[in-house]
Amino acid sequence: MSNIELALWSFPVLLLLIFLRAPIALAMIAVGATGTYLAIGTPMMVLNQLKTLTYGTFSNYSFSIIPLFLLMGQFATLSGMSASLFRAAESFLGHRKGGVAMSAIGACAGFGAICGSSLATAATMGQVALPELRRYGYPGSLSTGALAAGGTLGILIPPSVILVIYAILAEQNIEKLFVAALIPGILAALGYMLAIMVWVRVSPNSAAVKERVPWATRMRALGSVWPVLAIFIAVVGGIYAGIFTPTEAAAVGAAGTGLVAMLSGQLDLPRLKQAILATASSTAMIFLIILGAGLYNSFLALTQLPQMASVWVSEQGLSPWVVLTAVLIMYLLFGCIMDSLSMVLLTVPIIYPIMSVLDFGMSADDFGLWFGILVLIVVEVGLITPPVGMNLFIINSMSRDIPIGQTYRGALPFVLTDMVRVVILAAFPAITLWLVWVIDAL
Amino acid sequence: MYARLFRIADALARGMAYLGGAALLVIVVLTCVSIVGRALVPLDIGIGPIRAIYDLTEIGMAAAVFAFLPLCQLRRGHASVDLFKPLYPTVLNRLLDLLFDAGMLFIAVIGAWRLTLGMLDKLRYGETTLIAQIPVWQGYAASLLGAVVFALVAGFCVLRSLRTLGGKTDAEPEHV
Repeated sequence: MSNIELALWSFPVLLLLIFLRAPIALAMIAVGATGTYLAIGTPMMVLNQLKTLTYGTFSNYSFSIIPLFLLMGQFATLSGMSASLFRAAESFLGHRKGGVAMSAIGACAGFGAICGSSLATAATMGQVALPELRRYGYPGSLSTGALAAGGTLGILIPPSVILVIYAILAEQNIEKLFVAALIPGILAALGYMLAIMVWVRVSPNSAAVKERVPWATRMRALGSVWPVLAIFIAVVGGIYAGIFTPTEAAAVGAAGTGLVAMLSGQLDLPRLKQAILATASSTAMIFLIILGAGLYNSFLALTQLPQMASVWVSEQGLSPWVVLTAVLIMYLLFGCIMDSLSMVLLTVPIIYPIMSVLDFGMSADDFGLWFGILVLIVVEVGLITPPVGMNLFIINSMSRDIPIGQTYRGALPFVLTDMVRVVILAAFPAITLWLVWVIDAL
Repeated sequence: MYARLFRIADALARGMAYLGGAALLVIVVLTCVSIVGRALVPLDIGIGPIRAIYDLTEIGMAAAVFAFLPLCQLRRGHASVDLFKPLYPTVLNRLLDLLFDAGMLFIAVIGAWRLTLGMLDKLRYGETTLIAQIPVWQGYAASLLGAVVFALVAGFCVLRSLRTLGGKTDAEPEHV
C-alpha cells in the first residue's frame, strides 16, 4: 500500500473507531502511531518520537494558556458574577416582551467575556436564569433553547479556548483572533435576542414581563458588574497592548476571577478542590487529544497528503467560495455528533493548508483570522444541534420536567440565527476584520 | 478487595490532581508577581520580573498535565462520541469499554517507559532550559510521577471493565 493510500485509509478507520465510542484521543494516537509504523516499516520512529513528544507537547508555552483559561472559567462560575450580570441585564431588558430571556442572553454574553468555555457558561447561567425564566412563565422550549444558545457565547466572545487552539494549529496571532471574535460575538448575542423577540410575538405564550426599573437602579446594577469589565479589559486588552503574553494574561484572568470568588466568600476549600478537579479532568482530556492530533498529523505530513490535497483542490479550479461553503457545511454536519474541540484539532491541520491556497481576495493574515472566526461559529453550532449537543444536554439536565425534544425544538430558532450570521460574516469579511484593522492602524 | 482497590486508585488520582492543581496555582501567583515586578522596573529599585518564569511555567505545566491524566482516566473524562451507545448490545458496549481501557493502559505504559528514556537522555546530555538554565531532566522527573500513576490507574480501569464484563455491576463507591 502506498503512503497516500495509507493516509486515505486512515480516515475511515479513525471514524470507525470514533463511532465505536473510542476516546477520540485514543483513536488518534492509535491510528497515527500505527500509520507511521506501516509507512516506515519500523516502530522505532514513533517510539523515539515519544521520548520527547509527550513532554514537549505538555510543556509547550503556548498551550499552557489552556489550563489557565479553564481554571479562570471555574473561578468565574464561583465568583457570583453570573447573578450580578443577570440582575444588571434584567434591569435594562426585563420590562420588555421576552425581556427575561433576552436578559439571560445578555448575561451569557457578559459571562463569556470572562469565561472561555461554552459548557461552563451554559451550566453557570442556567443555574441563575432557568428558575427565573420558569417563574415568569416562559415556555420550557424557549427557556432551555435560549440558555443553551447563550452558552455558546462563552466561546464566541473572547477569551476562547477553541480560538487558542486554532491559533496554535494555523499559526495565527492569538491577540488578533480575540479582537476579530469580538464583533461577531456581539452579533451572535444580538441575533439570539432578536430570535427571542420574534418568538414571543409569533407564538402566543404566558410569559410575564417585569416592571420597568428606574435609571438610577439600572446604573447601580451595572456598577456591580465592574469586575467583569475590569478582568476582560485586563486579559484581552493586556494581550493586545503587548503588556502580557497570552499565557500571562490567562494567569492574570485566573487570579482576577479567583480573587472575586474569594471576596464573594464562595471560594472555600471544598469548592477550591472541586474547581481544581474539574480543571484537571478537562485539561487532561484536551491535552491527550492535542497529543493524539500531533501524532496523527505528523503521520499525515509524512505521507504528504495535506500538500497533495491542497494541490489537488487548487487544480480543480473550483470557486473558492464553493469550497468554503462545502467546508462549513461539513463542519456543521460533524458538529451534530462530535465535540467542537476534537473537530478543530482533527480538521484544522488538514483543512487550513487547503483553504489558505485559495484566493479569497485578501491577505494571508486577514484570511487566517476570518476563516478562524467562521470555523469557530460553525463548530459551536454543534453544541446546540441534535442529536449530540452538549449545551442542550447540560441545560436539559437542569430542568427535568422539560423533555429533551422540547429543548431540541427550542434551540432551532437560535441555530437559524447562527446560520444567517455565518452567511453574513462569510459574505462580508470586513465585519470580522474591521476592528483588527482599526486597532492595527492606531 | 475491589472496593479497596477503587479507593486506592481514587485517592491516587485525586491526590495527583491536587498536586497538579497546586502547581497550576503556583504558576498563576508567580506569573502575577513577575508581571508586577516587570512593571516596577522603571522605578529602578532593584525589583524586576522573575527571570525563570517562562521556564518554570513550562516545567510546572507539563508536570501538572501529567498529574491530571489519572483523574481523567478514572472518571472516564475522555471526549468520545456516545451517540450509538444505546444502539449497541450491552455485551458489545462492555467489550468496547474493556478494549479501550486496555488501549489506554498500553499507551500509558509505553508513555511512561519512553518518558523515562527521554529523561535519561536529557540527564546524559545535561540539557538545560533556555533562559534559567534549569536541567531539563528535572522537568521530566516531575512529569514521570504523573505518568506512572496514570499507568497504575489505567491498570485499575482495565480491572474495572473486566469486572463489569463479568456481570458485576455493583455501584462504585461514591466520589467525594
